[in-house]
Amino acid sequence: MADDFEIEGNAEYWDTERRGMTMADANRDIMRPIMVSSWRYWALLTFVFLLVVWGCVAWAWQIDQGLGVAGYTHPVMWAVYITCFVFWVGIAHSGTLISAILYLFRSGWRTTINRASEAMTIFAVMTAGLFPLIHLGRTWYFYWLIPYPSERFIWPNFRSPLVWDVFAVGTYFTISLLFWYTGMIPDLAAIRDRLRGWKSKIYGLFAVGWQGTVREWSHYRRAYLYMAAIATPLVLSVHSVVSWDFAMGIVPGWHSTIFAPYFVAGAIFSGMAMVITILVPMRWAFGLEDYVTSYHLENMNKLILLTSLIVAYSYATEYFMTYFSADPTEQASLFFRAHGTFQGPFWVMTFCNVIVPATLWFKKVRRSAAAAFFVSIFVNIGMWYERFVIIVSSLAHEYEPYSWGYYRPSWVEVSILVGSFAWFFFWFLLFTKALPTISIAEVKEHLAHRGAHDHG
Amino acid sequence: MAEAANVSGVLAHYDSMDGTRRAIESLRDAGFNDLEVFSPVMCEDLEEAMGLPESPVRRWALIGGITGFTTANLLTIGTSLSYPLIGQGKPIVSWPPFIVIMFELTILYTGLFAMFSWMVHSRRPKLKLSPHYRAAFSVDRWGIFVRAEDRDRDRALAAVQDTGPVEVEA
Repeated sequence: MADDFEIEGNAEYWDTERRGMTMADANRDIMRPIMVSSWRYWALLTFVFLLVVWGCVAWAWQIDQGLGVAGYTHPVMWAVYITCFVFWVGIAHSGTLISAILYLFRSGWRTTINRASEAMTIFAVMTAGLFPLIHLGRTWYFYWLIPYPSERFIWPNFRSPLVWDVFAVGTYFTISLLFWYTGMIPDLAAIRDRLRGWKSKIYGLFAVGWQGTVREWSHYRRAYLYMAAIATPLVLSVHSVVSWDFAMGIVPGWHSTIFAPYFVAGAIFSGMAMVITILVPMRWAFGLEDYVTSYHLENMNKLILLTSLIVAYSYATEYFMTYFSADPTEQASLFFRAHGTFQGPFWVMTFCNVIVPATLWFKKVRRSAAAAFFVSIFVNIGMWYERFVIIVSSLAHEYEPYSWGYYRPSWVEVSILVGSFAWFFFWFLLFTKALPTISIAEVKEHLAHRGAHDHG
Repeated sequence: MAEAANVSGVLAHYDSMDGTRRAIESLRDAGFNDLEVFSPVMCEDLEEAMGLPESPVRRWALIGGITGFTTANLLTIGTSLSYPLIGQGKPIVSWPPFIVIMFELTILYTGLFAMFSWMVHSRRPKLKLSPHYRAAFSVDRWGIFVRAEDRDRDRALAAVQDTGPVEVEA
């Protein structure tokens, strides 16, 4: 086991060697945000909460007035809400990539970033899950998608991609939550032991009486491994299923076999960017620079660069396939995408997803926190626009000229979009205060093995 | 935390994984097999040293997967047959779209079974901790509790002292 950590760049995991960090240091440093508090945190939390309230007001207005207050109308019946749904599901993906796939590949550098990324996954899925509900005219009938024995024996249509979505996203949320929680149990026990009084009792309740006996660890290790093993195909399946919401339709610009891999790469691309967007301020605010180092940023940026190339290749392939198909409606749709009404979003998307990440070819950019943060913001914007372009520009330019149309988001949609970002950050802020943002047990595992090398 | 008087045995603290592993090995060689070992980190080495059998969680995960797959089959095929309505010109039992549901439920049940089986096999959740557990075992200390009745107590203490613990409670 110890040998698995002997990979290139090991010394750069954390600056532990230089500082002589001990297991007790790791315990204390990572728990610090839980133990102390500042007014800045509460001010930020209040601000974000107010934005959530504003989003809720907009949604309440829409429920009261009907879907007419949202900007979408024939033929663009899927717009900002579905864009947000796909965007947030995509954001979720890199968390699982970091926590499960890199775990299976024994990439030790994931250790200090996996907890925050998994939390991001869960909050992103929670955000994404709201949008199909917001998009429904009669939200209170959402349970029709769930298979339950009704008095008329009517069941959901399992041939419909929308029902696949319910199963895929529901499974994804459940498994991510279990995986995240399982990984956190030893840390919750460590916090329980450090606190006193009612706080200790609450953490103790969630730590399920964990005391780290070797027997417990042996069952736990197996379960964690299997969860990682099943989360890996799951993460690839979820965004494939989301992409089939489109690819199963016969709309020109959607009906394409490359959608599944194209969406999965895009999801990891945007998710990695979001991890950087939240980790850079987080490590600065909590003084965790010794744990999340420029080595981690560089590795994440390499993944961003790789997925950016895949995404760019997919854009090119889409155009080539359309050219090669000699299908006039497909060709008209793709021409419209780059030169029609929605050419602005198209070029924003291309600039943000293809041009800006190319700066990551330079090692200096990859290792700089400020530059990485800057690039990640562009990628977030670009990937939101990518989904917007695919959804809106395709629907606005279907087969016959009489069914062509235009779309412009209304204030309700924009409010809910902003509210969704606030909702996401609200949960993340609560997480940073209440739970360890870095896996204490895994950091200590590394330190314990380093100790084993020194002594043995 | 329990008083030392409740302890019918010897509790030793160690400050390294390696030291703990060697201590387990020498205690088992001395004939003390009833050990309760605490570790702050995941510890494959210690599992081997204790000679623990392979965790049964693997079997539960497999059973979960099979249950999920079967459930999805019953759900998709069963409901289609119970209300046979041809839609989109596809057969009543149309496998390809149902595979998505089968895949997702297989994964869901595997995960749920893995989660609950590790808890059940570890006898969790539990509110009360073992009387031999110390808060330091979640920070940077390893602990070995050697269960020994009165007459073996002195022999256990001597055996533990030989393993180089940083602290002993007896």
